[in-house]
Amino acid sequence: MSDLSHLLDGEPIVATAGTDMLAGSIEQQGADVVRSDWRPPEAGTEAALAALAADGRNKEANDTAVARLLAVRPQLVDVSVARDVFPDMTPTTFFHAGPPLTWDRASGPMRGAIIGAMIYEGLADGPEDAEAKAARGEIELSPCHHHGAVGPMAGVTSPSMPVAVVADGAGEGVAYSTLNEGLGKVLRYGAFAQEAIDRLHWMDAVLGPVLSAVLESRGPIDLQSLIAQALQMGDDGHNRNRAVTSLFLRELGGALVDGADAPVDQRADVFRFIDGNDHFMLNLVMAAGKLGSDAASGVPASSLVTVMARNGTDFGIRLSGTGDEWFVAPAPPVDGLYLGSFTEEDASPDIGDSTITETVGLGGFAMAAAPAIVGFVGGTAAGAVRRTLAMYEITLAEHPMYQIPMLEFRGTPVGIDAARVVRTGVLPQINTGVAGRVPGTGMVGAGLVEAPMECFAQAVRALAEELS
Amino acid sequence: MIARVEIHPGRYHDSVRLMQASKALQNVEGIIDALVAMATELNLSLLADMGFDMDAVADAGPNDLVLALRAEDEGAIATAHQVLDDALTHKAAPSGGLDAPDPKTAGSAAAVADANVVLLSVPGEHAFVEATEALESGRHVMIFSDNVPIEQEIILKAYGGDHDLLVMGPDCGTTIINGIGLGFANAVEPGSVSMVGASGTGIQQMCALLDDAGVGVRHALGTGSRDLSEDVGAASTLQALEALEEDPGTDLIVVISKPPADPVAEKVRRAAELCSKPVVVTFMGETTLEEGAGEVLAVLGRPPAEYGTWPAANDVHRPGFVRGLFSGGTLSSEAQFVAAPILGEIGSHERDEGNTFVDYGDDEYTQGRAHPMIDQTVRLERLAAAARDESVGVILMDVVLGYGANADPAAELAPLVEQAVTAGAAVVVSLCGTRGDPQGRDAQAAALNKAGASVFLSNAAAAREAARLATTRTSS
Amino acid sequence: MTARAVRARPSSAPVRLPAVASLALRHLFVSEAVTASVLGASSHAVWLHAGGDVLVVATRDATRLPNGVEIAATSEDGLLELVHHGASVVVGPDSLELGGLVVNLVRWWDPRPALPLTTSGDLSVAIGGLPYSVPGIDAGPLHSALAVTSPEELVDASVTLLGRGPGLTPEGDDVLAGALAAIRTLGTALGSRPALAMLDEAAGALAEAAISRTTTFSSALVRCAMRGEVAAPAGGLLRALAGRGNVGANHRDLLRVGHTSGPALAAGIVLGAQSLIEAETTPNGGVQ
Repeated sequence: MSDLSHLLDGEPIVATAGTDMLAGSIEQQGADVVRSDWRPPEAGTEAALAALAADGRNKEANDTAVARLLAVRPQLVDVSVARDVFPDMTPTTFFHAGPPLTWDRASGPMRGAIIGAMIYEGLADGPEDAEAKAARGEIELSPCHHHGAVGPMAGVTSPSMPVAVVADGAGEGVAYSTLNEGLGKVLRYGAFAQEAIDRLHWMDAVLGPVLSAVLESRGPIDLQSLIAQALQMGDDGHNRNRAVTSLFLRELGGALVDGADAPVDQRADVFRFIDGNDHFMLNLVMAAGKLGSDAASGVPASSLVTVMARNGTDFGIRLSGTGDEWFVAPAPPVDGLYLGSFTEEDASPDIGDSTITETVGLGGFAMAAAPAIVGFVGGTAAGAVRRTLAMYEITLAEHPMYQIPMLEFRGTPVGIDAARVVRTGVLPQINTGVAGRVPGTGMVGAGLVEAPMECFAQAVRALAEELS
Repeated sequence: MIARVEIHPGRYHDSVRLMQASKALQNVEGIIDALVAMATELNLSLLADMGFDMDAVADAGPNDLVLALRAEDEGAIATAHQVLDDALTHKAAPSGGLDAPDPKTAGSAAAVADANVVLLSVPGEHAFVEATEALESGRHVMIFSDNVPIEQEIILKAYGGDHDLLVMGPDCGTTIINGIGLGFANAVEPGSVSMVGASGTGIQQMCALLDDAGVGVRHALGTGSRDLSEDVGAASTLQALEALEEDPGTDLIVVISKPPADPVAEKVRRAAELCSKPVVVTFMGETTLEEGAGEVLAVLGRPPAEYGTWPAANDVHRPGFVRGLFSGGTLSSEAQFVAAPILGEIGSHERDEGNTFVDYGDDEYTQGRAHPMIDQTVRLERLAAAARDESVGVILMDVVLGYGANADPAAELAPLVEQAVTAGAAVVVSLCGTRGDPQGRDAQAAALNKAGASVFLSNAAAAREAARLATTRTSS
Repeated sequence: MTARAVRARPSSAPVRLPAVASLALRHLFVSEAVTASVLGASSHAVWLHAGGDVLVVATRDATRLPNGVEIAATSEDGLLELVHHGASVVVGPDSLELGGLVVNLVRWWDPRPALPLTTSGDLSVAIGGLPYSVPGIDAGPLHSALAVTSPEELVDASVTLLGRGPGLTPEGDDVLAGALAAIRTLGTALGSRPALAMLDEAAGALAEAAISRTTTFSSALVRCAMRGEVAAPAGGLLRALAGRGNVGANHRDLLRVGHTSGPALAAGIVLGAQSLIEAETTPNGGVQ
């Protein structure tokens, strides 16, 4: 039956935006009405929003893009070496987290990580030598994202590093990430002391090859299923990864103990290494997210946000419908809890590709599944739930597999629509660790940060421009 | 009897959920046996025990979902799939009693209640984006906002027309659907007369007249003030007309507007003629709403009505011009149409001399203020000024009641009416309201009458009276 | 005052809410107040006896009944729970007072669904395949009575159905009500004068039978049905059968009402429709 006849056969159910008077008079008549808390969109985006609304392609393109994002089946298939998997990597090319960056603009932790990687690769004798060479431009810097990869915090990826290979069980895509070193004085926080370098050597000599042998022995590991289970065990997929790491260890279990072609003491070391690192799986979860992100890219007219990433100086995003373009703004400060005697003064601006998790319905978008996270990032458990609930306003879909038990197993909000961000003023919520400003300090705290509106405003205007 | 075993790889659900889903499947009519579970070794052995063919699950692992059904027929299997989907997916449901943040757009508010009408009063430049979202999610739209570019109106109405969704507006002040008023609307008795109108106050006046004549109203669909322009071409009017023709509860349709451009007027008249139900077309400016109402009564076989009147206690007033202080353009225009042949020239802008009927709902007077139907401040000042102005002999005002309007306009007006009458001016009030209005129509009329005004439920009648008073004055 | 505001108020103040009501109850609210007594109460509805009338004060999420007053609140707001069996209630004018709850009537709805005109051929297609009986209720006599449009047989058949089955509205009553409503409304839509005449002639005796043989509440609904005044979901089905709306969807919606009421009403409606078609084609049924 037609919609207009249906309207005339019954009593209207009304939703309002604008003056409360109109909603009030409906209630006075004993009828039901739902109000919205409407506000005008971000200044300077009205014309772009109207253009997108008038262009019939945007909605359908978004449906296509988010479907592609949700269709990937990430599986860990191998652990290889960076130089062997990246065609564009040279002996003096390093990848890094976030949008494009030059040495002169890089923050403390990023510089520290580059210095550390140079020492690790034997490209410099020591920190001063490394710094001088880097300043002279002897190292080529390129975003991980440009190479199908992601990296947490500084995310520096150099030729000798072991790299996880995550393939799409339902398609052709592949994504990569380095392996997680653990907490403390580690490269990704900008540490370049011998301890950090030695660990990197151990990872390429033992960790990588052993994991590769395990995968050879037992076959690929379905990451999607682990993540889905972990969300119902109190993880959020970004800052709380204990459950998913534990599940991962169980997946490795049998082949690690017996079956993988590697010396038993190495297998034992690998077990202890992963067992001691609650965040080991973060990198793999990120790579799984990157797989979805890349699959959703390149749909013309789509305003789906495929990437959110920070390089320690800038916060950058990409949209599905605007190709490779980055939309950047200064990385915002983090509203957080500081460890020990650290304060905001000690904090480095937001850094890392780990916001790929928020792009695919995890992290800040799944806080309601992990209320314990507030012990880490601050706030209240009820506040954690509210933050997730607020994200449904700006997303295109509810995740079919990542479900939140306390919301009656509602799927997490997934598929950020830049147009809705700009329209409603609701910004993507991110949970994040904070690195120390001074390279090598390590983590100084953790907290909540909102992606900057400026990125989304630029992106929406660019998309509207492209459609005209 | 059919047995079916299916694998859904990579779909994870916790065991409690799956047990509930299995139970739901077992309750489906025509399903003899059902199991939905993760393909763990334990569950697979259960499957074997139930006698299902294990070939299909040879490659299944613990991360795969297996669905096994034994059914009487294909229909039961189809139902079972639907039941399973419902049990495992969760649509945009409320967040289980938790304190969810308020929806930020009309579209997300509409999703909360599965609304079928979105009512927008956001600033005009933002209405298009909201309206598009509403239409794209299958909801009708009423745009109360004005200052919406006409190109956008055309796009919205084209989409609406293609999808059987009605776009009411922009600049639509009044709509009634099955007795529920949206915007500024009067309380109506249920009936079988429906309306389509490009003027909200025009709809209100027609409702008031019919109500006084004992005729109920079913629907009054506002189309927005520009619908009958050449560019928009009566898109919503024609769509509404067609829908009302098919509405079994509508016996007669009234079309209300100011006179449209010829080609559009022609379109509308033709549609009215072809309609299988009687259609009364009232183009104000060619005729009055009072005459239109009269035509409705005639078609319904009712006697002509005498609309409520509260005559002033005395007829004595000073000579002078007529000053019309209106809260909207429609009643002002109609009053001019009626009074001009009697009074001669009537100006539409404030001036020192001559008859003037001014619309205080115009942008000029409403900067930073609510509409005069709500906020009477400006008109109260003008009333006081007119009382003091010796060149003014008659003051004519409309008072519009109903939902959305001022809760007690007579209370604010009465003292100033009394002042004006004491000063020697005659005051005529066109009271637009129905018996059921929240302000209490008759109480409002009585209060204004007691203060010295003559009160008319028909705007045309009020205008005639004002003109009569000005031209056949009796001086003291 | 909205239900939301209600929860915020000081607990001693009376709660005031707008309400809408069926036109069938109009006469109760136009003159002086009358006292009513409470027949029963739940979180969804309070049943009242006012003089010769039975009415239901219900929340927005309850099924809308033809003798209903619907308050601007849901059962979750818990307002009706404050009213207890035996409490005294004042009805009219323009409002209803149940203990601390004052309900102002601001709007009316017509409990008779508006149906387009239709033909027995189209009606026959519309009811195709829908059940017209429920287990345990013998509607045979009713069916025959309606098919030959005999007022006497109709009254006799009604007596066999009224009061049959447990509950506030016994299943037999619901089948009868459905059939009577169908005769009145679909009969009008078809222009079946004999069927309508039968109903008019039997009306008085049917009303008496209803009052004496079944629960007070149910007899009110049966009497409403004779006039074509029905619960909203039943109205939806009748309208769909007449050609406006999706039959399957409206049928399913009606089946969900109550425990047995919905299916029994639906079966009665289809039975009534079937009888109208048969009456048009049998010689006994009179003029085509």
